[in-house]
Amino acid sequence: MEKKRILLVDDEEGIQLLYREEFEDEGYAVTTAYNGKEALEKFQQDQPDLVILDINMPGLNGIEILRQMKEINPDLPVILSSAYQEYKQDFGTWASDDYIVKSANLDDLKAAVHKYLD
Amino acid sequence: MPELRKDPILGRWIIIATERSKRPTDFVVETFKTRGGFCPLCPGNEKTTPKEVLAYGREPGQPADSTGWKLRVVPNKFPALIIEGELNKQAEGLYDRMNGIGAHEVVIESPGHEDRFTDLPHDQMLLVFQAFQNRIRDLSQDHRFRYVIIFKNYGRAAGASLEHSHSQLVALPILPRMVTSELEGSLSYFKYKDRCVFCDIICQELQQDIRLVCQNDSFVTLTPFAPRSPFEMWVLPKQHSSSYTDQDTQSLSALVDIFTESMRRLDTCIPNVPYNFVLHTQPLRSPLLEHYHWHFEIVPKLTSIAGFEWGSGFYINPMPPEDACRFLREAL
Repeated sequence: MEKKRILLVDDEEGIQLLYREEFEDEGYAVTTAYNGKEALEKFQQDQPDLVILDINMPGLNGIEILRQMKEINPDLPVILSSAYQEYKQDFGTWASDDYIVKSANLDDLKAAVHKYLD
Repeated sequence: MPELRKDPILGRWIIIATERSKRPTDFVVETFKTRGGFCPLCPGNEKTTPKEVLAYGREPGQPADSTGWKLRVVPNKFPALIIEGELNKQAEGLYDRMNGIGAHEVVIESPGHEDRFTDLPHDQMLLVFQAFQNRIRDLSQDHRFRYVIIFKNYGRAAGASLEHSHSQLVALPILPRMVTSELEGSLSYFKYKDRCVFCDIICQELQQDIRLVCQNDSFVTLTPFAPRSPFEMWVLPKQHSSSYTDQDTQSLSALVDIFTESMRRLDTCIPNVPYNFVLHTQPLRSPLLEHYHWHFEIVPKLTSIAGFEWGSGFYINPMPPEDACRFLREAL
């Protein structure tokens, strides 16, 4: 059976390594992007089943990327993952399917991914 | 020479910096850029919001969370406080804490993405003010809540993150400090003079006619004696009442008229000025109060709060309210 594909967008290499390892161990295929431009290219090219999206990134921030992704495919689940609670005050986040505050414990993020992919 | 002025209700001091007389055009307002793209508040995207708690305007028989509405109220998808759970008040030595219980809702004021609140037709704005009443009444039945704050942020400088016209409400399990200060200040005045301080303010402003922006049969708009911001306006009912939810449709209709006129005067003075407005009304389930008077406060965001303001609690306002009032009166 073909693996479900996750596109992980985060400008921090450490986060990319951690998330990639965790979700590959769980049986998903993970591709990564470091910024908005690369994320939108891979979004169109790889057609992922789910996107995990950081917010605070150079260039296009995650909320702008989210808007563009939802314009292209409104049904694709997108999980915002940020270290900051305060972005929740931006209603642009409502376009996302979930908002998970980054933590060393990935249980909440994993639960959200399973909810949409399993 | 600068002048110190004291708010007669809160006892709060402000500094009117009058060295250089300002004109409306002296205030730089950031252009409100439309971000475009997906909008969760637009018709057709109802499924991206939490389930609505109130909607007006759909044809009978149409399901909730479908299109065809004129106004919707939905819970905040990522709320600051959550509605489920019991209040659990605890003490930790001299400190107090409790669960983050509350309601955080968004009033989508119009289906039109680019409609501005100031330009809403009379009947549409009436729906907004009726929705405020409806939600306060509904939330007052929840005995965990003691107060509902209703406010609007317009423009990025005022905290708005989305251009689709909306206001917000937050139901709280405590009385905010600003509310208790206003209640205590007005009670103190009432004990001394046996009159409502707001009624006295209205009476004096009508007589003096130097801070009276506009009026109709039921309401007045004035620039307060000690305003925090240039062009700050208060909209007050002429007839004494402490409860916004006690207003009938005729009164709300008059409120729409004066609110629209006041906002258009402000918008003419400083086009697209960012602002906040906040409803001040009595606490939930309170009996009617002789000393308190519900009203709206409209505060343009034209000055920033910096170290002096944080440290002293004083606001520095570069425009006397009498000047602001003159500009607002001449605007239309």
